[in-house]
Amino acid sequence: MDFDGLSVDQAPPLSAPIRFFVTAPLFGILAGILMLLSDPQSLMNRFSPETIVVAHAMAIGAFGFIMLGAMTQMLPVLAGVKIAKVDLVTKISHALLVAGTLFMIFGMYNSVSKLTLAASVLLGAGFLIMIVSMLLAFRGVVHVTASVRAMITSLVFAFIIVLMGMHLLSSYGIGKFSSHHLLFANIHSVWATFGFAGVLIIGAAFHVLPMFYVAPRFKKFCKQKVVWLITIGLILWLLLNIFADSYATIAKIWVAMFFWAFATTVFLKLNARRRPVSDATVWYWRSAAIFMTLGTFSWVINDFYDTQYIVIVSVLIGGGFIFSIMQGMLYKIVPFLIWFHLNAKGYMSIPTMNDMIDKKMSKVQFVLYIVSLVGFVISFFIPSLLAIFAITFIVSMAILEYNIISPILIYAKTIKTKPEFDMSAFSMGVEGKI
Amino acid sequence: MSTIKEYLTEDHGRCDELFAAMEDVASKSIESAKDAYKAFADATERHFQMEERVMFLEFERKTGMTQGPTAIMRHEHTQMRNLLQEMAKAIEEKNKDKFFGNSETLMILMQQHNMKEEQMLYTMAQQHLSADSNRIVDMMQSLIVQ
Repeated sequence: MDFDGLSVDQAPPLSAPIRFFVTAPLFGILAGILMLLSDPQSLMNRFSPETIVVAHAMAIGAFGFIMLGAMTQMLPVLAGVKIAKVDLVTKISHALLVAGTLFMIFGMYNSVSKLTLAASVLLGAGFLIMIVSMLLAFRGVVHVTASVRAMITSLVFAFIIVLMGMHLLSSYGIGKFSSHHLLFANIHSVWATFGFAGVLIIGAAFHVLPMFYVAPRFKKFCKQKVVWLITIGLILWLLLNIFADSYATIAKIWVAMFFWAFATTVFLKLNARRRPVSDATVWYWRSAAIFMTLGTFSWVINDFYDTQYIVIVSVLIGGGFIFSIMQGMLYKIVPFLIWFHLNAKGYMSIPTMNDMIDKKMSKVQFVLYIVSLVGFVISFFIPSLLAIFAITFIVSMAILEYNIISPILIYAKTIKTKPEFDMSAFSMGVEGKI
Repeated sequence: MSTIKEYLTEDHGRCDELFAAMEDVASKSIESAKDAYKAFADATERHFQMEERVMFLEFERKTGMTQGPTAIMRHEHTQMRNLLQEMAKAIEEKNKDKFFGNSETLMILMQQHNMKEEQMLYTMAQQHLSADSNRIVDMMQSLIVQ
């Protein structure tokens, strides 16, 4: 029997996920600044360069970064596999993605074709290095669970949308657009939202909600079938778009229905959770469920209004669902990782997870974020208000950054001051080297 | 009879229920959380010992791996025992913040530990020890906690 895949001590170095987490709110701030600098009217048009730039500052820089960082941590725990050379892979991928996202933002915003073309290569390389490394890691999985299947499915979607994204972005770079450009853009964005992010979130939720909140488990049907049914829906939607686009709404309703059902299930499971705790993570799960419900309905209804409300749909699903869950997760994963790595180094007199982030600050950050989202929707109808909500959004991102950095500062300080070094970990009959 | 994997996985579930019940009592009044804490801590210690004194030993004997996953699991048991002690101290000191700070940390550590066990170690143990599964589950059931 090959035991290489069975190493339980596979936690990647702290820096691997943290570098992605720390960068994400900074791109959020940049997205907010871009909103302030842009003409609000042009942000109401989905295909304006300003909108594409803001959307990608968020989609890649903010939620994409958090998802990649989280996956480096999730793979060992949920799938029992590790990414080969995880430190090097994350370092290179992170650098390429930071440069690529910045190049894309400035290239498209200022119409500098060389920057845009370079962005296409950098982003493609940055994403593919991570995606391929993770897909390769899955070869070693011992026990395929619903979450593992969801993660693999999500990565396959990611792989495809990255290739499509490279093609779309290079079209802007060279200034030539194929006749399918808008169709490709549509597939790229829908598969990224529901196929990559949506499926990944659903797959993680199968474990996270029952385990961390002692909530009722997901039904076997959900765990075994939902990811497949969504995937079939997304493929059907693609085929209908190509061959019979007047029927594409049917597939859209199919996909939307499952995400609506998921959102409702999340809300009900949180209501039925046995743990009494209520914190930023729970608030974010709840807000995500509410925004996703509104998002799925408006996504479908939007088809009957000539897709003129697509920007609102993006705010509800991208900001309200995906980014809400990502932020909620950061509030748990960052303090835990800091605690875990300090504890593993033998430091016992360290603050508990709850002492690492000021609860008041997390509440302020959450409220400002929700206000910003609602404000973005209102601004669609009253564009002059956008600046106000861009500012509340920037502030909420700045506080998020502060909230994430606080535990990291505790880590740095502990390592520097070396408090009581407790050796008790070695007195409990632990065998061998840890 | 349950398999090793089923038996220990179900026991994780039982511990989770006791954990939730303990937090529920503690959130109302930290002073009255002593019994609920003891119920959880005892069940958890029993679970650890079922692994450390029975299943891990059998797994190590069969696979020859003493420095591998079981060693890491033992280390994490130690980390959890330390957190449990901190929680007991917090109840003595009637310090609710300290209690919940430690219980939150324990919860996450415990769940990622459980995921690793259910995901990998129990699956591997079941494969290697399937012939002795009933005997091992019997031994775990009849274990007297030291």
